[in-house]
Order: sequence, then C-alpha cells, then structure tokens
Amino acid sequence: CTNDLDVEPGDPEAFLDTDFYADPASYRSGLAGVYGNLSLTGTDGAGSSNIQGLDAGTSQYGRGWWNLQELTSDEAIWSWENDPGLRELNRNTWNADNVVLRGMFGRVMTSVSFANEYLRQTSDAALDGRGVDASLRADIAEYRAEARFLRALAYYHMVDLFGKAPFVTENDPVGAFQAPEYNRERLFEFIESELLEIIPQMVDPLQNEYARADKAAAWMLLAKLYLNAEVYVNQDRYADCLQYCQQIINSGYELTPNYLNNFKADNNDQPARNEIIFPIISDGVTTQNFGPTTVMVNGQVGSQEANGGNFGVNAGGWSGALRVPAEFSETFQNGNYNIDVRNTLITEDRIINIPDVSQRDTGFIIAKWSNLTSDGQPGSAIEIVDTDFPMFRLADAYLMYAEAHLRGGGGDLGTAVGYVNDLRARAGNPNAVAANRLTLDLILNERLVELYWEAHRRQDLIRFGRYTGGTYNWSWKGGSANGIAIDATRDVFPIPAASLAANPNLTQNPGY
Amino acid sequence: QSVTVSGTITDAGSGTLLPGVNIVVKNTSNGVTSDFDGKYQIDVEQGDILVFSYVGFTTQEVPVTGTTLDVALKTDAAELDQVVVIGYGTTTIKDATGSLTSVTSEDFNKGNIVTPENLLSGRVAGLTINTGGEPGAGSTIRIRGGASLGASNDPLIVINGLPVDDNAVGGSRSVLSTINPNDIESFTVLKDASATAIYGSRASNGVIIITTKKGSRNLRVNLDTQMGTNTLPNKINVFSGNELREIVASERPGLLNRLGNANTDWQDEIYRNGMTSSQNLSVSGAIADVPVRVSIGRTYQEGLRLTSKFERNNFSANLNPSFFEDHLKINVNANASFEKNRFAGGEEGNAITFDPTQPVYDPNSPFGGFFQYTNIVDDGVLNADDLLSNSPFNPVANLLQNESISNVRRIYGNAKFDYKLHFFPDITATVNLGFDEQTADGYVKVSPFNPLSQADGRIIGSFSQYDNYQKNTLFDGYLAYNKDLGDFGIEATAGYSYQKFTSEQYNTGELLDDGPDTEPTLNVDTDLVLIGFFGRSNFSFKDRYILTLSYRRDGTSRFSPDNRWGNFPAAAFAWQINEDFFPESQAFSTLKLRLGYGITGQQNIGRGNRDLFLARYVRGLPASQYEFGGEVLTVGIPQFRNENIKWEETTTYNVGFDYGFMNDRFTGSIEGFYKESSDLLANAAISDGSNFSNAGFQNVGNFTTQGLEFAINADIIQPLNPNDFRWSLNYNATYIEREIKELALNQDQEVGGIAGGTGNTAQINRVGYAPFTYYVYKQIYNADGLPIEGGYADLNGDNIINGNDRYLYKNGNADVTMGLLSNMSYKNFDFSFNLRASLGNYVYNNVNSARAQFNLLENNAVASNLPRAVLQTGFNVTEDVILSDFYIENASFLKMDNITLGYTINSLFDGSASLRLSAGVQNVFIITDYSGLDPEVFNNGIDNTIYPRPRTFLVGANFSL
Repeated sequence: CTNDLDVEPGDPEAFLDTDFYADPASYRSGLAGVYGNLSLTGTDGAGSSNIQGLDAGTSQYGRGWWNLQELTSDEAIWSWENDPGLRELNRNTWNADNVVLRGMFGRVMTSVSFANEYLRQTSDAALDGRGVDASLRADIAEYRAEARFLRALAYYHMVDLFGKAPFVTENDPVGAFQAPEYNRERLFEFIESELLEIIPQMVDPLQNEYARADKAAAWMLLAKLYLNAEVYVNQDRYADCLQYCQQIINSGYELTPNYLNNFKADNNDQPARNEIIFPIISDGVTTQNFGPTTVMVNGQVGSQEANGGNFGVNAGGWSGALRVPAEFSETFQNGNYNIDVRNTLITEDRIINIPDVSQRDTGFIIAKWSNLTSDGQPGSAIEIVDTDFPMFRLADAYLMYAEAHLRGGGGDLGTAVGYVNDLRARAGNPNAVAANRLTLDLILNERLVELYWEAHRRQDLIRFGRYTGGTYNWSWKGGSANGIAIDATRDVFPIPAASLAANPNLTQNPGY
Repeated sequence: QSVTVSGTITDAGSGTLLPGVNIVVKNTSNGVTSDFDGKYQIDVEQGDILVFSYVGFTTQEVPVTGTTLDVALKTDAAELDQVVVIGYGTTTIKDATGSLTSVTSEDFNKGNIVTPENLLSGRVAGLTINTGGEPGAGSTIRIRGGASLGASNDPLIVINGLPVDDNAVGGSRSVLSTINPNDIESFTVLKDASATAIYGSRASNGVIIITTKKGSRNLRVNLDTQMGTNTLPNKINVFSGNELREIVASERPGLLNRLGNANTDWQDEIYRNGMTSSQNLSVSGAIADVPVRVSIGRTYQEGLRLTSKFERNNFSANLNPSFFEDHLKINVNANASFEKNRFAGGEEGNAITFDPTQPVYDPNSPFGGFFQYTNIVDDGVLNADDLLSNSPFNPVANLLQNESISNVRRIYGNAKFDYKLHFFPDITATVNLGFDEQTADGYVKVSPFNPLSQADGRIIGSFSQYDNYQKNTLFDGYLAYNKDLGDFGIEATAGYSYQKFTSEQYNTGELLDDGPDTEPTLNVDTDLVLIGFFGRSNFSFKDRYILTLSYRRDGTSRFSPDNRWGNFPAAAFAWQINEDFFPESQAFSTLKLRLGYGITGQQNIGRGNRDLFLARYVRGLPASQYEFGGEVLTVGIPQFRNENIKWEETTTYNVGFDYGFMNDRFTGSIEGFYKESSDLLANAAISDGSNFSNAGFQNVGNFTTQGLEFAINADIIQPLNPNDFRWSLNYNATYIEREIKELALNQDQEVGGIAGGTGNTAQINRVGYAPFTYYVYKQIYNADGLPIEGGYADLNGDNIINGNDRYLYKNGNADVTMGLLSNMSYKNFDFSFNLRASLGNYVYNNVNSARAQFNLLENNAVASNLPRAVLQTGFNVTEDVILSDFYIENASFLKMDNITLGYTINSLFDGSASLRLSAGVQNVFIITDYSGLDPEVFNNGIDNTIYPRPRTFLVGANFSL
C-alpha cells in the first residue's frame, strides 16, 4: 500500500493551503498573518520564530527596525554586548555576518513573501475557483490593497536599510526563486507606483479597524519616501512630501493632549487612537512578542534605580539594557527643554558619559515608554507589554511638513512653525519657536526630542548628513568612547552574507 | 596408576553447565560424555591427557594430575562460526562480507549498566557512546562519526527486527531507557554500507541490531542483583564564601555590603549521594515443549542532583515454538516497561554563581524557609514585587520546590514467523510483525513558596500536565532461498517492509492561570510512513570467495511523490586469503579481505519536518494572534515549503582485513573507510523573499568522513588448566577525519549556541573544515604569556576588530578514540576493567567564558560567585573575551569506566547452581588536561555545565541455576 506515503498534516492547527482557504473566515485570518509578521515572530509564542539565524525575540520586525535605527545612532546604547551582533551595532563596526542584519533582511523579505502569498490566494482566479461571494470579495479587495501596502512598507525598509532588495512579486514561484536585484531607484519607483495605485482602494483615514492600514498610512509612507528621496534616489521631492503631510494633517488625526499617552499600555485605544496612524500591535497575553515596546519598557529600567515598577514591569526590568549616549542627553540639556514632558531623562546619581559600555550605572536613562495605562493600571503581563509601537504618528507628519517646507517643498512658514509649536505646547514647553528661528538644525533636534526611540534617528542623521563621516561624532560611534568618524560606506548596511550566498543575483554594497 | 577423575564442565563465557561434552583419553578410544549437569567421571592412568571437545567450543587438552578436574570450555576461539544477526537474516563472522561487529552477552561491559547501549561503550571500533549523568540518561551514539550535517546522526536501532523511533516519547529519559539490558542477548553493529544498505534509507549512520534472549529447553534460572551508591566525583572550581569575601574586598569593594556571613558550597547543597539498585530474575525452560523465557527486572536510581530519580520495571516474555517438524518456527517477544521519573532542572549554572556567603535556609523567609533575595512589600500577598528584581533564585529551593514527574508505559515486541516451505525446503518465508507503543503522562508542579511568578506577577506556584503518545507498527515479509551446490553456495533474500510512525503531545498549559495564552495545546505530528522493497544475494565459492549484492528501493512520506523513492545498492566481496596461501598455518590462522561499496540514504530531519513539501498554513497559538480594531484574530501563517527536498545519500567504501594469529589466539581486524554524503539535508539560508522563512531544510552540500579502525582480541595468557591465571584483552582504536566538501552557494552556517548573550554561537560549518569547527577570535598574549583582556588579533588588518577577524580553530570531535577491556581470572576470582581514551577533541569552556570575569561579581543588586579560573586571567568584561580562542581547551582524556572484582562459588546445590559475588566501581577516574568538570561533553564540544556523571560503588550477586 504505497498510497500510505501520501500524508497530510496531522496537527489540528495545520492545514494544506487549499483546506485553509476553504473556510471564508480564513481571508481575514490570512490577512492577520501578513500584518502579524510585523509583530509575531512565529505561531507558537514569543519564543518561536519562522525565520532563522538569530534569537527569536531579536528577529521581531519592529525590533529589527528599531535596533538598526536607534542603536547605530546617538539615541541608544544596548548594554548587553554579548548578544550577538549588538556590540557591532552600538559601535558602528558591523560586517556582513551580523545576525541582526541577517534577521532584519530575512524578516522584511518574509513580509514580502507573506503579502505575495496572500495576493496569490486571493487572485480572481483563486476566488472564482472557491466560489467566494460578492460581499466577501468586496472585503477582500480592501484586504488585498492592505497586503500590497505592507509589501510596499517592507520594500521601503529595504530601501532605507540596505539600499536594494531582491524583487519578488506574487507572480514568482514559492521555493528557492532567486529574485533579481532592484536598486534604490527601481524600488522607489515600485513603491511609489504601487501606493498610488492602491490608495483609492484603501479605507478612508480613521475609518478602518485600528491596526489596519488606511489611506493616511499609505500617504505617510509616500511622504517618508519623498522626504528621503534625495538620499534614496537623489531627487528633490519635498513638495510631494509636504502635500501628503498636509493631506494627513487635514484628514481628522489629532495630537493627543498628553504626549506620553502615545507610549502607554492603552495606546491602542483612546486617547492615542487619533494620533497613531499606523501601529505594530503588542499584547502581554494575545500578541506576545519581544518587540520594540517590550524591549524599550524593560530596557529603559535603570540598573541601580530598579524603577520598573513605574512602568508596569518587574522592578529590575532588564537591568539597564538601554541607556542614552551623552550627546542625546546634551540635546535636551542644552536646548529649551527643561520644562517639557518629552524630557524624560533620569540623571540622578549618574554620570552623563558611558566610559565603559559594560558599566550599566553610567550614562543617563529615560522614562518614555510604559506598560501602565493612561490611568495608571498595569498591563496584562509584567514582562511582555501591551504597548503598541507607533510606526507612524501625526507628530512626525507635523515635523516632516516643517522640514519639507524648509527644504523648499512649499507650504508656508507660519504653518510650519505652528506645527512645531503645537508639539512644544502639547508637551507643556513654554518656549515657543519664533518663525525666524526655524532652521533645519532646530528641526533635527526637535525630531530627536519628539520622536526619540521611535526608530527614526539613523534615517534622520543620514538625511541631515550627520551620520557617517566626522561632522558629528557621538559616544561609541566607530567603537571609541568619545566617538570617531566612520566611513560613508555605513550609510547603508551590507547585504547579509547568508542572503548574498542564497541569491547570487544580489551584489554586495560597496565597501563591505 | 589408575585413578578415577571427575569434574564439572562449564562454558567459560557464561558459566553455564555443559552437558554432552566428549571426554576422551588422548590417543585412545576410552571416553565418556558429561551428564545433564555437566558432570563426568572417567577412569584413567595418572599422566594421561584428557581431550575435552564440544561443538562450538575450542577443544582442550588437559593432563591428569589429580582426581578432580573441572574444565571451562571456551567458545570456539575463532568465533568464526558464531551466528550473527544481520538485516533480514543471519550470517556467520566467517561468511560476513560487510563491516560488522558482534558483541554477545558473555562479552558485555560489567558494572552499573542502566541503559542497554552502555553494555557496548568502548567495545567496538568506530562506535562512540556518550552518556549523560542523570539517572537513566540517554546517550549520543555515533557510528563512524555519523554521516549527516543537518539531519539525524543517530544510528538505526533495530530490536528483534523492529526498527525503533529515534525520538523517545516526551517524559521518557531516552529511546533505550525503557529497555532492560539484562534481556539482551547480543548486539550487532553494522558499520559500512554493504552491511547496512539492506536498511536503505535509514542506514547512513550505521545500524545497531539488538537481539533479546530466547527460551531454552532446559530449565535455567538467573537472579541478578546489584546495589550501589552514586557519589559526586568532581565539582566546578569556584570560590568559597571566605575566598569570595577576600576577592570582593580586593576587586569590587563596593559590593562588600551585599555579602552575607555564611559559607555555603552550593554545589554540595544541590547534590547528594544517591542509591542505585537493580534486580533481575529470568526463568527459561520448556512449557509443553515450547521454549519460553520470562523475565522481570527492576532498576532504581537516584540522581546526584537533589530529587532526581529513575525507576524502571520490566516484564518480558519470549516464546519460540516450532511446528510441522520445525518447518514453522515462531518467535514471539513481548515486553512491557514502566518507567517512572522525577526530573530535576539544571541548577549547575545557578549553583556555581549563587553567592556562597548566603545561607541555604532562612527561618524568616516567606518562601518555604529558603533563603531568597527579597524586597518584601507589606501588602499581605506574595508576588514578583516582593523579590529583589533580576536576582537568582536559591538553587536548592528550585530543586526541592519543583516536582516534575513522568510515568512512561511502553509495550513493544514482535512476532516472527519463519516457514520453511514443505514442497521446497530451500525457501523460507518470513513475516515479522512489530509493534512499539509508548505513552507518557506527567506533570510539573512548582510550589507556591517558590519565587517563580506567573506572567502577571502573581506568585501562586505553577502546575501543568501532559500526555504524550507515540506508536510505530511494522510489517516485514521476505523470502529466503538457500542452496549449496558443491563448491557453490547461493543465498538470496527478497522482501517488502512497511513501517508507520504516529505521535502526539498534549499539554494542559498553566492550570493555575486561566488566560487565553494558557489554554491546552494538542500537537499531532504528521504521520511518517516508510516503505521498502529489498533484495540480497550471496554467492560463495569454496567458502573462500564470497560476493554479496544487495538492493533496496525505499519510499518515504516525507518527500513529494516526485522525490520520495530512492534506490540503495551495495556490493561486497570477501576472500579468505589464508585458505589459498597458507591453509595449514597455525601461526597465521586467519586472513580475510573484505571490500565493500554501497549507497545508503537519509531522510530523518526530525519529527516536526515530516511534511515540508506540502503547502501548509499553521494557525497561531492563543499567545500568537493579531488584533484588528480590538478583535483578537487567529493568524494563519504559511510555512516554509520545499517541494524539491529529497534523499541525502551516503556512498561508503570500505576495505577491511580480518586476521588471526597463533591459532586465532589473537584475532581482530583493520579497516579503512571513506564515506561521502551528498545532497546533505541541512537547514540553510534560502533566497530571501522566495519562501516563508529565510532558511529551511534543503539538500545543500557534500561532506566526507574517512577513517581507520583497528581491533584486537588477545588471549594474553591462556592456561591449560582453566583454574590458573588467565588474561584476555580487547582493544580497539579509531581514527576519524571529517570535512565539509561543499555547501550550496558556499554559504557558512553559524552553529554551536553558547551561554552568555542571547543566541550567541561559537561554531561554524564552512567548506574545507570539519563540521562544528570553533569560530572565534585569536587571543593576544602579553610578554608574560598572559592573555590580554579584549586583545584580539586583527586578522584582516583593517584596524577594526569585528566579525571579519574571527577564524576557524579546532573542533569538538576526537581524532582518535580507543577502548580497552581487560579480563583476568584466577581460580574462582575474576577481575576486569575497561578504559576509554579520546585524543584531539577540543572543548569550548563556556562555563568559564561566560562566567569567569570580575564584572560578574556584581549581578544587578546582588553579588555573584565566579569560577576560580578568573584568577588565571584577571579578566573583567565578559563581552570583551567571550569568543576568545583562550577558552578552547584540549580535552583529550583517558577514562576508566569500570573496574570489577568477582568471586564465583560453583558448588551450590551439589554443583547444580552457582553464585557469583562482585564488587566494583563505575566511572573510576579521568585523566585529562581539561580544566572543566568533565571533558566528555555534548553539543559538539560546548561545555556549559553538565549533569555530573556519578562515581558509583557497587556490590552485586548473581545466582544461576
């Protein structure tokens, strides 16, 4: 009986794709899977991972994005330099074998494959074959647009981090397909055209279910692309950036009155609902992950302060896993931020410098993120937090507008200054910026103050020409306690050696 | 002068009485035979020589010097006619063409043998067995180093024709821990492809065939009992309480206020001396003319680690009736085994770092009277807030307050029917039905007085239960044809084999918490079905030239219909050279050449990877869901898929010489082999974006193993009178060299996870090197030869020390392994010991690399202990040194596994029974330069603390009738 060799998955939670999509509810479940890749690392809890080469928790999408934007900049230092790859991010000495890079490359491209698979399974032909009814088809049209949004988002992250990507669509086979390499120009073009095409099919701003992308999320992604277009493709697209920022700002989103409510356990709900444009979900019970919010809440707990109780996690948290370099602290201390709720620095009994990374009592720490709700209730668990990660939020659109204006994108100065001052006012800062004092340097500092630890900093420093080279050296840049210049090569990360090997169409970035 | 000589004749190996032995006065026809009890009586002249002969035993000539003459006959010295069980049949050593070693019960290792494989440790060239220290522990078994990189390297284990699953059911200590070593009659270790290829797809890593004892026509009773004490032979060298106070005062005086006043040796506290005992009773005899053997056995072992224990009760029955004048032979083996475990978590790492200035107990502690680092918030309830955050838990409390129990029931056995056709007796038809079912239930209960907290911070203990089940069923049917045509002999076998494996695991999740993420989970593995068609033929000419050809076609449910069938051919040739060139030579009594070639397959990439070729979706567990607008949605996630995955194939070439000198007083073999595994199954990177992961199982490369094996059995002193001093030695040595020849697209694989950092690795698989070669930084030393902290060589000279400066250095596998068994006897005393040696194996001392740095004296709010090795380096920062090649140490060793002294009383019940008393020591000593606890580690050479192997002092008694 050789027919016995034809087996089917035995597990009650595992299905053949045809069986899975035989259930109409699976179209939503499948979409949740595509979104889920932003937060979940696997199907079996926070310790499981569907990608390999690094620890499961570190492979989380948002965490990879956060690590690469923050640890490599002047905003954060990771104390546990034993953790593979992180020492080299702290010190800007990474190479192509870095596991965090490999993980992020893999995780982002897995989003591309999940989205492609979803598009394959929801093609007209597939739906016809399964006799899907018209009302579900209408929902699926929105789902498909969102899957394409998530794919565009993934390619944007590739553009920013690696400057290139293997280009795979739903028309390519599943398996070991060695996709062609797309450079920044081609990816930029794809992301732009893709977003412009799907926006009409997406739900209007604030009208979609929370955590699902709406038009504003797509506009924000376009605005980000245009703001950085000079870096990415050497094009001046500030006018386009400004236009989309304006569209977002006019679409009903509002700043939440309390700045810190954006970073609390109930930020998926009122009061932050109208400020957060696109989040990555986290929940201590149902969406467990070691993503950026869990890392930040536990990581910001001081080694000697053991102040985790203030943030709804264990008193000791992760024992001082995250601290800030002196230059970060100085930006607050030297600017007009003494009275400003965004200034969460904890300085008592600490020196501002970190002469030795392993000495966790040195350097200042911060208190921005929390697993307590806006009314002080604890989250559902004491390590994995309920706090969602705001990948896009309105305040960023305000600052992007101001920057795009200063960079010649049009709009008007009064509006731009107004937006900056709205943010200061919201933070209780009495020092309004005068119109004639609004400079790009001020914007860069203001972005740090408003958006620190939200995974923007490396991108910002590059756009302002302060990342590589020696114009701006922060502590531990280049591996030296005082910071030294690094080569311009490091404006993009290397293609991970394993990825390069598995797809010979890819080429290494110059200098690596 | 005429005298009457009398005596008893026994089998020198087993001590059993030999009836029917011919006793003749040399050069006369005067003779008698021994009676049912092995006794004889004969009238001779003083000075005559008596000749004792018996089929299957070496003839002995003994001069008459008195009136009593007891003789122990040795199994035929050459052992060449010994029947050896091979795949789907039997052969004799003399006719064997492949590389195989048979070890029968007379030659088993002695001592504290809890699991069957340890009967063989160190005994077979090319076979290594590395057993853990916990009671009833399983072993890593490797034949010729294994042939795979990412797939299983475990040999196929076949018990009475039934291949067993190489995963133990969850809750059982190991695959073999449920099997009673006392029921085993023999092992055959098949090493090269010509011997193994009949098992086709499952034989790349060699095969171990276990045959259990059968019934006999005569009544035999054997009662065996052993008692012993397990003791701790060695500890990791850390500071005592007083020493730590001094070290802290000099190195980190700021921490002095965190120290206590006690002097606790936490390693002494987590270990104990344990008791070990085993009793076995077997009875065999004929019931209604059907030979039957029944046995019961009980083994009880307390582990060194507090609370851990292993208990096993075995029942086995064997019936081998024959019918129709022996045309139909039936052999039924039925076994039931009950294993009961208490598991103790690994507290070694905690014990070597827990502050020795703190006491074990604290009368004021709310945590069951155990000292814990607390920070009591006076709110009447205990929760995570009441503990000093990020401080370790008392290791003794962790052991005593955790109850992890499993009960395993295993029923296995087979029924084999051999029918010699009435109308054509040259053909035998065989059907073998096999069955192996294992169920395990267990629970893990943590006391509410243990500081362990739930995810929400409540300290209420923890409780969960599990039920695991696995079953495998076998059907084999084959025909064997056997014909002698004068000088030519032909044997041919052809058959079909079907085997199916099913398994599932159920876990209740946390029962003390009712959140959605603590709901029960049921995991059902996809069935594995293996089907094979096989054939083998042997052609012999004048018993000197033997050619064996075999072929197997195997199908596995693991691969797609296009890839699931594989063909595995083999050929071997043997030539009895001495028969051609020096047939009469006594000095050069055996010389046989064996040449073998064959291809075997591999498909075992683990239980979770049985359907990788299918397009699968998996739904997230309750903890892994996503939310849309506050609605919690079960995610459906596509899984890595490889439709092209196919067999890994290993081609083996083998050349061997079997030799015998001085009438086979010295026998043995020398072999050389070369194995090449291609289409290696390994978990490797896949083109990003093309699949639902960045890596997965693929056929990636090519890997070779070559080696030499040498074995000798020597009767160093072989007296004429069996009561005089006798000494025999069995020695073997193996040299193995492994190299990765090709990996898909030349990609490296980082492997060898280490402690210290999350997800850190210290090894790499790279083309041109042995698998699991260490991948580290090159340490720089100062003028005094001391390592410079953080001083790594800039090997690529770019002035940046980063991953590009790591290099490949040594590996954990031994170049040479050796085993020696010595058996001596004098009068009623016997004395034996065995030694094993391993040369050229290097260990990454992760105990020191992740702990022996002064910064670690401070562990957040508390002080910590360190390995004393820190004094040697003075290192401070773990991060700066953890991947230094300084921590890679030569771990070559010489180990005495066992030493036993026995005394046998033969004259019980008028000589019809005997009693052997013995005393011995297990794990006697280790000689090594390795600075850690034990150089024999797992994980391909990464030592991050192990469960220490006990030194056991044993006494035993064996009564046989």
